[in-house]
Amino acid sequence: MTALYVLDVPENTPLAKVAAQDPQVTVGRIGPYFEITSAGPIVIDRRATGCRHAVWYSSVAGVARDSHIVQHDKNALRVEPV
Amino acid sequence: MTGMDHRVQGVDHAAFPTFDPAGTVRFYRDVLGFPVVHSICAAGWGPEDHPDFIHFFFDIGNDDRLAFFYYFGTTPWGDSDRGDAYASFGPEVPEYFIRSRHLAIHVDNYDDLMEYRRRLDESQWPVEMQIQHETIESIYTHDPNGYMIELTRAMRPVTPQEDLDANLTIDALLDVVAEPDPSFGKLLARKAELIVQRAADWELTQAGETAGK
Repeated sequence: MTALYVLDVPENTPLAKVAAQDPQVTVGRIGPYFEITSAGPIVIDRRATGCRHAVWYSSVAGVARDSHIVQHDKNALRVEPV
Repeated sequence: MTGMDHRVQGVDHAAFPTFDPAGTVRFYRDVLGFPVVHSICAAGWGPEDHPDFIHFFFDIGNDDRLAFFYYFGTTPWGDSDRGDAYASFGPEVPEYFIRSRHLAIHVDNYDDLMEYRRRLDESQWPVEMQIQHETIESIYTHDPNGYMIELTRAMRPVTPQEDLDANLTIDALLDVVAEPDPSFGKLLARKAELIVQRAADWELTQAGETAGK
């Protein structure tokens, strides 16, 4: 299971929306955080989110221990199971 | 959050040395329009060979002040042109580190930010960068002493959940730096655990407080 946490603030809501477009991905909530989970990888395209770089590179609040970030660059955020 | 009374009332003054009082007054008083509000003319005294000095203050709004020390008869100690009047750095020190220490002065809105941009751009210290960060927008320049000065405005109010997030970050950071080889990845893993442990309860508490108002 891959799990990624993103704080629900106005700048970050496009990330959750783009992540939810993948049918394999579930976007739930835990408190004020989006809990983005998948049995496989989670991939979010930066340009699809429209996030400027300052927002993009500071948008990840947490990554579960059985997951890890394999890509976080100007193109995409990709989190995979360990 | 700390359980202690929070009694402080912002910045009284932040103080910096200068070897260029004329440039400093031009920059802060004549270009930015910060009034001179206080000064001390002191003869040198004390156990060290203390020079005579002038300690002068500019109003930076909100009754907060930016202060300088000018010591008569002194010249800069550093021989590097990287850094500022307080500290100079050799070629081994990366630029991001030198730029990390700066003073950011708050303005209320975009119009005010652009007014200070206009004042700086018409001076010999024009704005070097204008950046939209995560939730603030800032302009930057270096004053005549080499100090990096930022003026910044909030693009939106800070939300309560950002305070929670900040506290989870710091608790995770303290856990991670207590172990060998701290890394960003380890911090995000620890923070994920703290989110799972605390975020839902925090939201319930917030909802209760809102309902109780």
